Amino acid sequence: MTPHTPRTRTRARAHGPSPAPRLGRGLAVAIGLTATLALAGCSSGGGSSGQPELSVSGAYMPQPVSDLAAGFLVITNRGGGADKLTSVTGDLSDDITIHRTEKQKMMEVTSFDIPPGGELDLERGGSHIMFMDIKRRPQQGENVNIELHFEKGDPIAVELPVKETTYNPAQQ
Amino acid sequence: MRKKTLTSAAALAVAAALALTACGSGDDSAKPLADVSVQEKTKAATVLDQPFEKPDLVLKDTRGKDYDFRERTKGRPTLIYFGYTNCPDVCPLTMSNIAIARKSLPKADQDKLQVVFVTTDPERDTSAELAKWLPSAGDPSFVGLTGDFPTIQAGARQLGIGIDPATKEKDGSVVSMHGAQVIAFSPKTDAGYVLYGEDTSADDYAKDLPKIIKGETP
Repeated sequence: MTPHTPRTRTRARAHGPSPAPRLGRGLAVAIGLTATLALAGCSSGGGSSGQPELSVSGAYMPQPVSDLAAGFLVITNRGGGADKLTSVTGDLSDDITIHRTEKQKMMEVTSFDIPPGGELDLERGGSHIMFMDIKRRPQQGENVNIELHFEKGDPIAVELPVKETTYNPAQQ
Repeated sequence: MRKKTLTSAAALAVAAALALTACGSGDDSAKPLADVSVQEKTKAATVLDQPFEKPDLVLKDTRGKDYDFRERTKGRPTLIYFGYTNCPDVCPLTMSNIAIARKSLPKADQDKLQVVFVTTDPERDTSAELAKWLPSAGDPSFVGLTGDFPTIQAGARQLGIGIDPATKEKDGSVVSMHGAQVIAFSPKTDAGYVLYGEDTSADDYAKDLPKIIKGETP
């Protein structure tokens, strides 16, 4: 199995809850695997300073208690250019949106900034990926595959390991 | 008279500080309160010098029956939280943490503890919705309450918790909000004397609940 970065895949659409492009099951799994292997070094700018260089870490989904689920992860930008997370797709739900939380209120946003040399933290109590009307209830120990879409960078496939409902790495 | 004025001023200041506490990340979101009129006793608990009176709150439970909060929880250790079921993160997190901590208690203590979840989004959270959600987000023993929003809002306000009605955005999505704290009431005084922020873990609750069940200061 040759590692294959997802960079050659089609570019992200600007925004919207439309379903992920149909993929063969095997291909999806392969992308999931290679993504976990290749994320750390997934640079699209080849080092040129004005380009974002994104990597994803600390991804998880707390085991859902209803037909709603949330996903959390950190996107680090080691490049010299800004990027934005514009949408998320995946087969768990046809309605995946991104939200920020402010003063106990959750609001959908069209994008999140990922500043050069900075990171976007989606963490408990704050911003998150929200999955509405999930098609099944993933259990702890399973993985949920999603794809992150950006304004500039190529999409990144990510596996969200399902953790216990109360999982919160900030308290470890 | 003067003392009373000071007391309510302090209570207001606490309430204001609580309302300002952002939903966010900091572990020390409770810290500024210490300067007002409360002391932090453990990592998670904020013990109030001026406890809250139990709110006068009569709502419908998960079977659609009247539930008088003061009457039903009188003399019982009680936790109250304001949230909504279409909440993917903090509300199930809070309910699950409390449920896990409750299970760690001796059976007799589990039976004493009353956990009450009041919806902040009564339009969507009917008794039936709460009956479906609460056992899986928390525990079948938890009480779920719904009713008129103004009644719920007034009850929350008596505990220094500010909640706004759910609003519908242009795209049809609904924006609701949850309360910032869980409040614990003493079985001895029936007063709301300890606050827990949303960073409180199941372990924190497990450590403090035995004391709260006896009406002691955690």
